[in-house]
Amino acid sequence: MTFSLAGIFSVLSNAIQPFLVLILTILAVLVAVQFTARIRSYRTKAHQYMPAMIVALLVGASSVWWLPLLTHSQLAFVTTAIDWLALIAAALGVALLVWLVLHPLSYLIRGPR
Amino acid sequence: MSRFTLSPPSLGRRQLLKLGLGASAASLLPLSSVFANTLSTKARIVILGGGAAGMSMANRLARRLSGATITVVEPRELHHYQPGWTLVASGVWEAERTLQPNAKFRPAGIEWVQGQAAGIDAGQRRITLADSSTLDYDVLVVATGLQLNYQLIDGMSPDLIGSNGIGSVYASLDAARRTRDAIDAWLAEGGGKGIFTSPQTAIKCAGAPIKMTFTTLSRIKAEGVRDHFNLDYFTGGGGMFSQPWINDFLKQRFDRENITRHHSQYLSAIDAGAKQAQFTSKDGSTEVRDYDFIHVVPPMSAPDFVKDSDLIAQSGAFQGEWLDTDIHTLQHNRYPEVFGIGDVIGAPINKTAASVKAQAPVVEANILAYLQEKPLPARHNGYTSCPLITDIGKAMLVEFGYDNNMEFLPSFSFIDPKEESWSAWVLKDYLLQPAYYAMLEGRV
Repeated sequence: MTFSLAGIFSVLSNAIQPFLVLILTILAVLVAVQFTARIRSYRTKAHQYMPAMIVALLVGASSVWWLPLLTHSQLAFVTTAIDWLALIAAALGVALLVWLVLHPLSYLIRGPR
Repeated sequence: MSRFTLSPPSLGRRQLLKLGLGASAASLLPLSSVFANTLSTKARIVILGGGAAGMSMANRLARRLSGATITVVEPRELHHYQPGWTLVASGVWEAERTLQPNAKFRPAGIEWVQGQAAGIDAGQRRITLADSSTLDYDVLVVATGLQLNYQLIDGMSPDLIGSNGIGSVYASLDAARRTRDAIDAWLAEGGGKGIFTSPQTAIKCAGAPIKMTFTTLSRIKAEGVRDHFNLDYFTGGGGMFSQPWINDFLKQRFDRENITRHHSQYLSAIDAGAKQAQFTSKDGSTEVRDYDFIHVVPPMSAPDFVKDSDLIAQSGAFQGEWLDTDIHTLQHNRYPEVFGIGDVIGAPINKTAASVKAQAPVVEANILAYLQEKPLPARHNGYTSCPLITDIGKAMLVEFGYDNNMEFLPSFSFIDPKEESWSAWVLKDYLLQPAYYAMLEGRV
């Protein structure tokens, strides 16, 4: 069985559809926080705030447990190499997303550090 | 037959909008890979059935033929994603998740007859509908699906599903819901005897009886009361599954899980009031079993109006039960203007939506060749797929075909069909339904 690029695109667009509102909401929050912080001179490398990093890592690490639950499964069923690869990639994505929101947010709340 | 010419495609606004969604992605592709040439023809094409196979063919042929009259005969307005019914019956999905209006997938430029076919006169190339009107065709695509023969189990009726400890995921979406309720009620009793059945005939989604056994077992184990439940599995066939490696795996797994296997014994009668089931062996002997819950899978065949027509197999393994098609070209063995696709065809395996996904491009290419009086170029290798749920939360993506002794045909090299995995479960839970809808649109 092979999939054309148009076929893959069609499948993905159908797959995303039920989560579109959630995805757009998360993106809106991300863009709003980043944009607001940046027009107030926020620069990623210049701002130091370790708690944002710690919280992002904690949320990312905990997602290894709760991401399978979200899919009606459990961590015990994550067994194959591809399972772990997918789960770790998703957890890293969660951690990055949380950090990209919390880091500029801390700048907005606490000011430059 | 009229003259046929190949010409560039003409696309409707709806089709363009759908493709336009991926304007940037599509721009990466050479145009020829997105749009195949269209064939100009005046042929009258009738597609019997607007389910997975019929809808997929309607979209494909509407895109590839210009000037043809394409008529789909389908009584239902709603499209059911039937592969999701086991998840509904297992309490994982809400029922509504499996429903979509047919109008969402219906291509522009075809005629949709909302009626029931009642007869096929293959000699006259004529379809009779339930209201006695007729449709003449030059090419017929038989995509009717199959018929559930609950009446062949003495005492059984779809109305009983959900009561007296009877479940059956096949009958309808509502039956899947009632099966879930029956399992819930049984689990609430805290123990008892459960029987899961598979009939003596070919069935659609042959993994479903096994999936229902495993998901129910999963729920019992989650309650921590496994010792209070006895589980038996009766199959009318000699094995558990067509694919030899998976067959052995399932036998071992059932034994390990203490699910007693009974082979070559099919459910022949049921006494709902007494909660007793009768099983008949190949030698004709019978055995009566008490149950607290029973999952009934009925015998299946082509619909009666197909069985009553000359299109039905006249000899061999599918005689009198299934459409007489060449299992590789999917063309009828005696009527070259007739093609079969989906559950209705006589084939060793293949009564799955995944098979339709593989069959549809074959039927499309071969119909186009037939219209141009060319040799049929496409062959189906018998591909089918079963996302075999072994527990709520893990599955095996079993893909194989009937060529080469049911060898595995994995779509993704990184997913081992012999391994249970969370990834295969996520595919089943989230990605196969979108792939199915893309198939209906003729995009996969």
